[in-house]
Amino acid sequence: MILRLVGLRLFTAALTLLCVSAIVFMAVEILPGDVASNVLGQFSSETARAALREQLHLDEPAIERYFLWLGNVLRGNLGIALSSRRPIADILWPRITNTLILSAAAVAIYIPLALFPAVVQAVNRNRSVDHLISVITLLLASIPDFLLALLLLIIFVVFLPLLPAVSIVTPSTDLVGWLKALILPALTLAIVMAVYAARMLRDNLIDVLEAQHVLMARLRGLPERRVMWIHALPNAIVPTLNVTALNFTYLAGGVVIVEKVFGFPGFGSLMIDAIRFRDVPLVEITVLIASCVYILANLLADLAAILLIPKLRQERA
Amino acid sequence: MIGWAGAFGISQPRDFWRSAPRNFKIGLALLVAYLAIATIGPFIAPYGATEIGTGPPVSGMSLQHPMGVDQIGRDVFSRVLYGAHLVILLSLAGTALGLALGSLIGLLSAYVGGFFDEAVQRIIEAFVSIPYIVLGLLAVYAAGPEFAGRPALMVLVIAIVYAPRIARMARAAALDIVTRDYVTAARLRGERPMSVIWHDLTPNTASTLLVEFALRTGYAPALIAAFGFLGFGVQPPTPEWGAMISENRNLILLAPATVLGPGLSLAFLVIAVNLTAEGLARMLGQSVDLSVQ
Repeated sequence: MILRLVGLRLFTAALTLLCVSAIVFMAVEILPGDVASNVLGQFSSETARAALREQLHLDEPAIERYFLWLGNVLRGNLGIALSSRRPIADILWPRITNTLILSAAAVAIYIPLALFPAVVQAVNRNRSVDHLISVITLLLASIPDFLLALLLLIIFVVFLPLLPAVSIVTPSTDLVGWLKALILPALTLAIVMAVYAARMLRDNLIDVLEAQHVLMARLRGLPERRVMWIHALPNAIVPTLNVTALNFTYLAGGVVIVEKVFGFPGFGSLMIDAIRFRDVPLVEITVLIASCVYILANLLADLAAILLIPKLRQERA
Repeated sequence: MIGWAGAFGISQPRDFWRSAPRNFKIGLALLVAYLAIATIGPFIAPYGATEIGTGPPVSGMSLQHPMGVDQIGRDVFSRVLYGAHLVILLSLAGTALGLALGSLIGLLSAYVGGFFDEAVQRIIEAFVSIPYIVLGLLAVYAAGPEFAGRPALMVLVIAIVYAPRIARMARAAALDIVTRDYVTAARLRGERPMSVIWHDLTPNTASTLLVEFALRTGYAPALIAAFGFLGFGVQPPTPEWGAMISENRNLILLAPATVLGPGLSLAFLVIAVNLTAEGLARMLGQSVDLSVQ
């Protein structure tokens, strides 16, 4: 039964990805009109345009071009970037690696950032600390990532000059340089993800702390700290795992803005540059990858929900 | 059937205000202040929006220049005042267009059902699977170089980003209602789909859609500013806040006020709309989803 459910979910994810590829192709190669003059500019020579049309197979019908492109992408043949004339795969890998490192750092900060406020709030529920943290998380939830990034930049670069204003990393950057470059962008991403999880975890924890098994543990005379971390927290965390997976969907788009604000050379800033220079094949691939990450994270969230919450298994089946 | 008159269950404006949560009142007050500034801003601004030589370039906060002076000697405070109506109008127009498109698609899909509904859902799902900022960038790209930088393009971008999300919401809200007897009755009377959608489905989903509109409007200014910041939004020298932040990004160490000014103006606008929207949601008995942007 679960297998069938998971299989169905995988199938819809694949179908969605196919739809996305059609949307991307349409937006990049059909809607903007004459691709060649858009890429090369109004005053480009006819020979240059003809060469570009040849390279991108623009003379063939759109539907054939779409399947040709899709087939190539599926076989891992990503093509050549227009602006730098290098294979797209070579350009992508270092950027994706950087973004993965950034995301890993963001997740590493996210976990304590979601846990500690929730635990503090649950222990002091309905006291002023609880209300204060609630107001702070509510305000942080209202502030968009773009602004949060700027505010952090102003606080930690201008008022407390601890960190560099631009998070540039090169292959020769050492560990300390990497850490300095990563802190602010990772913190921004982590805060955006953590506020919602922290609010949810607080409510869950307060429910769990009133449950029978926690009362039992208290009556056995276990210290409150042990009750919290061993008996209450694991039970409260389970429902937030779904949210955590959903948070990864945020990363797929969040890195685009955050990397640009901090000047971090990752996948997101590569996408922005591709769009700026109208680098057709690179735009297609980067958008497709971002959507892929989004769909995968969503899939993960659904699978987590199906596996962790038995009730859902029956309702959906 | 509740019809349009009772859509929000509000009879007395006075009761409405008395029962409002405190956050709603704070948010609304802030919002009214913003609207006032947007209206009279250009008249009270000490300098012109593109006036150069107003003070020493790249200088910080001072009495004459509360938000400093930018690289080419423009007064940032005046530019923020001039830009206020732009961000508010573009946000409202974009979200309204997104709401109109999204609710039409969502309600129609729920009402027609069957294969049509299934197909529409797949397409919506695909649009939602492109992260909103990436979808916006894709829309800017698809519009081509001719339309780049026009304010109208931002309205379209917001509408395209929001419409699929609103459609999903509207469909979910309407699924509950299409099975009611009065909808069946209307269908059997031979009313056309658009008529049923307007007279039966829209009023009954209105409070959901209103909250959705308010919450989305809250995020729209940030989206516009983000696009301005990335260089794909309204083009300089128009005093769009995001574009201003981008212009002054390099001055952050020398004159942080030039970035902080437009940045905080934007932050408080977003907070004001969000507080109002959440208060509204609570009053209308809707749950508020604070999930990831």
